[in-house]
Amino acid sequence: MNQCKRYLRLYKIMIAQFLKTIMQSKVDFLIGLFGFFFTQIMGIVFLYLVFQQIPNLQGWTFEQLIFIYGFAQLPRGIDHLFTDNIWLVGWRMVINGDFDRYMLRPMNIFFQVIAEKLQPDALGELLTGVILVAGSLAKGIVIVDILHVVLFFVSLVAGAVIYTSIKLFFASLAFWMKCSGPFLQTAYEMADFAKYPTEIYAKGVRFLITWVIPFAFVAYLPASFFLKNDVSAGMIGIECVIAVVFWCIAYAVFHRGTHVYESAGN
Amino acid sequence: MRKYVKIYLPFTLNALKRQMAYKGAFYLFILVSLFSSFISYYLWKAIYTSSDQATLGGLTQEEMVVYVFMVYVTSSIVMSSISNYVSEDVVKGTVAMNLIKPIDYRMSLIAMAAGNMIYRFLVPSVAIWIGLEIYKVTALGLRPVTAVEVLLYLLSSIMSFLIYVLFDFCFGMVAFFTTYIFGMMLAEEALLGFLTGQLIPISFFPSAVQRVFDFLPFSSMVYTPIMIYLGKYTGRTAGFMLFRQAAWVVILYVAGGLIWKRVTKRLVVLGG
Amino acid sequence: MIEVKHISKDFVTPKKYPGLKGAVKGLFSNEKIVKTAVDDISFEIQKGEIVGYIGSNGAGKSTTIKMMTGILSPTRGECLVDGIDPNKRRKENAQNIGVVFGQRTQLWWDLPLSESFTVLKEIYNVSDSTYAERMEFLNRVLEMQDFFDRPVRTLSLGQRMRADLGAALLHNPKVLYLDEPTIGLDLIVKDNIREAIKEINERYQTTVVLTTHDIGDIEELCNRIIVIDEGKKIYDGSLAALKETYGTKRRVSMEIRQPEKVAKLHLASLLNVREEECSVNYEKESNTLSVTFDKHKIQVPQLLTAVMSVMDIKDVQIQETELSQIVKEIYSHGIMEG
Repeated sequence: MNQCKRYLRLYKIMIAQFLKTIMQSKVDFLIGLFGFFFTQIMGIVFLYLVFQQIPNLQGWTFEQLIFIYGFAQLPRGIDHLFTDNIWLVGWRMVINGDFDRYMLRPMNIFFQVIAEKLQPDALGELLTGVILVAGSLAKGIVIVDILHVVLFFVSLVAGAVIYTSIKLFFASLAFWMKCSGPFLQTAYEMADFAKYPTEIYAKGVRFLITWVIPFAFVAYLPASFFLKNDVSAGMIGIECVIAVVFWCIAYAVFHRGTHVYESAGN
Repeated sequence: MRKYVKIYLPFTLNALKRQMAYKGAFYLFILVSLFSSFISYYLWKAIYTSSDQATLGGLTQEEMVVYVFMVYVTSSIVMSSISNYVSEDVVKGTVAMNLIKPIDYRMSLIAMAAGNMIYRFLVPSVAIWIGLEIYKVTALGLRPVTAVEVLLYLLSSIMSFLIYVLFDFCFGMVAFFTTYIFGMMLAEEALLGFLTGQLIPISFFPSAVQRVFDFLPFSSMVYTPIMIYLGKYTGRTAGFMLFRQAAWVVILYVAGGLIWKRVTKRLVVLGG
Repeated sequence: MIEVKHISKDFVTPKKYPGLKGAVKGLFSNEKIVKTAVDDISFEIQKGEIVGYIGSNGAGKSTTIKMMTGILSPTRGECLVDGIDPNKRRKENAQNIGVVFGQRTQLWWDLPLSESFTVLKEIYNVSDSTYAERMEFLNRVLEMQDFFDRPVRTLSLGQRMRADLGAALLHNPKVLYLDEPTIGLDLIVKDNIREAIKEINERYQTTVVLTTHDIGDIEELCNRIIVIDEGKKIYDGSLAALKETYGTKRRVSMEIRQPEKVAKLHLASLLNVREEECSVNYEKESNTLSVTFDKHKIQVPQLLTAVMSVMDIKDVQIQETELSQIVKEIYSHGIMEG
């Protein structure tokens, strides 16, 4: 418990330092926010154009797809906001030896990685997500009762953990291969599949994004629980189990990786 | 011409060599870029099943499949970004060095982009193209592409490449004003995905919007070559479209030159 | 304080081929090369010692230091710092050590230096009273107050090095590792840094391990040096002993009148010694003949007489081998094999 408090305190201090450094570049902040926001908006326009041609997509209405799309942005945005530094581990820090500094401080290494940075760009995604989900609430297409509201937030956290775990797992491969950025990117981009109902995909693809790289559980599957009465709350339960299992695997690989870390200069 | 080739060919070859050094990365990038093609493929399949019409935006379901994968082939030829090189040079402060060298900075970047283009075309795209053509004829039951269409398509794609790099060079000038070009690139990519027809054929847009697009260079980048390939643009239309592409090459070439002159003047004044 | 027992580190890298053809080949090949950067090294360092760890580039210095700090795990062998294995109990070890890597700062680049110290205080759990006391001491020896409120990126190299040293010492570590602490600094700053290191060592009995290319660092700071070459320890002992063992060579340079006679000069046989005991080198441009020899075997007048029996000499210069010369030779690893 004491340990927990200490880390919380350290997190506050380190993030405060980080925020001081980025305050100097408001323009960059706005550009990043705009970039991510704009990318998401384009996705919506795409759906809109398609729905000019068809009444529904395999039983899903435009409004429902917008909710799924918006919901998908939230765990993605949360993960993006807090753990963006993981990308640098996969791309750069291991190969150029910047990772050394984490090894030299008397703190948990993963904690140091994520405490070093907040990614304000993520607000672009969070903003899109909040607007779209709020819009869906206003339209009354989302089920609102205590169970659903509670599980909504549980699902956001579990979804973010799944994102983080997948990122951490692939970034950690860098300890063996020096630069795992391309793998990390490949895995991360698979999340795009989960923006749409998984029923539209072939069986193999559906299996892959449900159980291997389980992005279906951060977006489409939980979203359908909030939209349709016939989906049971067990869906969120499975999501949580997957979050825990994947986190354990990813963290174990990361931990093992720090022991085979070779630093730079050889 | 010969002199030009001699000066700028090394840039092309270097880019080629660098591409090959990242072997693992490279195969993965092919996979990643194919992801979005597959997502589109499945999505369109679902869309066509949900529709009571046989054609959407002037394309049948079979043509749409060809469209989706030709977007991949065409983009890999056309979209060879140079703005990231510009921003790298600006951040490192090596742009000034490039001003001293007796070469044209923009030409050297384009030569580099050409190297990347050739590599991407040779390694994944040709294979995917051939695979698609076989699939198209055997499984989709469409007629094979004609030699004329292939030639016109390649010609149009090369012009698209030039339009893209010349545009991207202008865009890269943003790097002189903000160090955080990543956000801008993201926005550029999203915008281009839309306006070039990568994400959805231009014919899906309301006609008023399409008319506006006629006056922008973007649809010339991806949509035009694919329409030629699909045999939607033939005869005089195809000729006109190619002419329009050529016009954009000239316009963007001149515009880029002017912007570069202004920016470098500023660079000399401020010191870079 | 530090016990290094038969420590080794192997690095495995994929094979690379040159050129465009090589790049194509690389696409399909998967060959690996194993390089042993540190090969079975053992030593012990006592509390309060200042040890110079020297060797040429790529000899394995940094790799050893990285294993002692807990950055790298050894492939074989073990290392204990204050009884703790840095790889098994990394966090505890981190609390015990301070590290300055000359090329790379540990400070927050964009923030004022004072902010870095505030964060480090929290990270290392330094109490307010200890912090005040330490800062007073560090400010006195490192004179950081002049730039304490400036962003780290605006500091000069010398200021940054002092700041980094201060940051590494804030939590009063038992062991201080310095990797090239004076590289690129001017003489006055170098002197300041060395004085500071000495003072810290005396006052707190801090054990210091430093790698350096600077002979001044070794002469002024180290009471013991360990020389490493190609991953193996080749010398471990005092500086004086090193000088005694390897500093017996002497060099005489002579400007001569008849360069055409150089070929006829057979010094070894004239002096009755073996060829390797007196090496002759002739430089055409300056018309200078230099002879390097063992001062216990050959006397200078003896040598001059021998040379003058063949040719005339215009001018003579006699040089004692200095420590820098010895180290240079160690680095180009000639001396240890001979």
